[in-house]
Amino acid sequence: MSQATATTQDVKSWNGGHSPFNVSYGKMMMWFFLLSDAFTFGAFLISYGTTRFFSAVWPDPNKVFHSFPFLGEANAPLLFVSLMTFILILSSVTMVLAVHAGHYNDRKGVIKWMLWTIIGGIAFLACQAWEWTHLNHQGAWWGSFTDPATALSSFEHFFSADKAVIAQHGLQATHDFYNYFFTITGFHGFHVFSGVIFNVMILLNTINGKYELRGHYEMVEKVGLYWHFVDLVWVFVFTCFYLL
Amino acid sequence: MSAHHHNDNDTQVLYEGDQSKLYSGLMNHHSDIQSADSKKQVSRIWKVTGILAIVTIIEVALGLYGTGAGMPKGLVNVFFLLLTIYKAAYIVRVFMHLGDEKKSFLITVLIPLTLFIWFIIAFLYDGGFWLEMNTKF
Repeated sequence: MSQATATTQDVKSWNGGHSPFNVSYGKMMMWFFLLSDAFTFGAFLISYGTTRFFSAVWPDPNKVFHSFPFLGEANAPLLFVSLMTFILILSSVTMVLAVHAGHYNDRKGVIKWMLWTIIGGIAFLACQAWEWTHLNHQGAWWGSFTDPATALSSFEHFFSADKAVIAQHGLQATHDFYNYFFTITGFHGFHVFSGVIFNVMILLNTINGKYELRGHYEMVEKVGLYWHFVDLVWVFVFTCFYLL
Repeated sequence: MSAHHHNDNDTQVLYEGDQSKLYSGLMNHHSDIQSADSKKQVSRIWKVTGILAIVTIIEVALGLYGTGAGMPKGLVNVFFLLLTIYKAAYIVRVFMHLGDEKKSFLITVLIPLTLFIWFIIAFLYDGGFWLEMNTKF
């Protein structure tokens, strides 16, 4: 009986005049945009995976990413990217606290947590800038490692495979690895960058009292979804490039 | 519970153009951020933060010492993928509040993602196949 009632009500809620999902248009569209963006990132990561499966050797992340700012030649694999990961997770936490403050119409709370989120985003971008610059100084960029005359000594230290295999396939693998690395972390970094811009816009609107006037802080929630998605993508980028 | 708080079975009479009343139907209109309900949610956020941090530390430790300690690389990779999905689920469910939305909306968002199952298997298999062709023939 209760089942029948629920069904009737469900049909009714789709007959117009109600919001069956109880979600506003803008928030639903943000979810659908993120869904499409997930497929874009997914396509990038899967094509990276395809190339990796296609390659006889592949650079060992512990040997490519082992530097830390101001530590010179110290061998510190994964340390710097762990720091970047923690920065992004924490900025996601401060974002969800801003959304929470918004749910309670707490303007001061929104301002405080949005500020921390923006600081986290900028810190992450700064880390990425350092990492890219560092790799670039080691000769890595889009389209690098193509010259067949490249000395084995300039890329063999990226691998932990048999030397003969590296000599035969290592150059191509290094080339592919860096193309995907800069494309995917660049695409992600651009999302972080635009996310920071959106966050600044939301912060200014909050400071100016725009959302208080409107009676709700839904814009914080919508931009928050985007920001969490950026963190979500990084979880996968981190696994694919630095761990696997 | 405030008068504005509504659950799944409440029928909201809404008309086109009045989007503000739709705002976060399931989550909005709590009044006091110092309330016990609010504090409970904040402590949940910090609990999830702790889980994400611990899982990341486990991942990094596995990356640094997993194979060195004699674990086969394939097994380490399985752990990486499981932990990644574990983290992703927490971010989507708690931080993005998808777990707090209506079930029908949650399903609408998640079902298209099942395409990834085909997407990943097909393309990785293709890469592996070409490697085999290149090395054997």
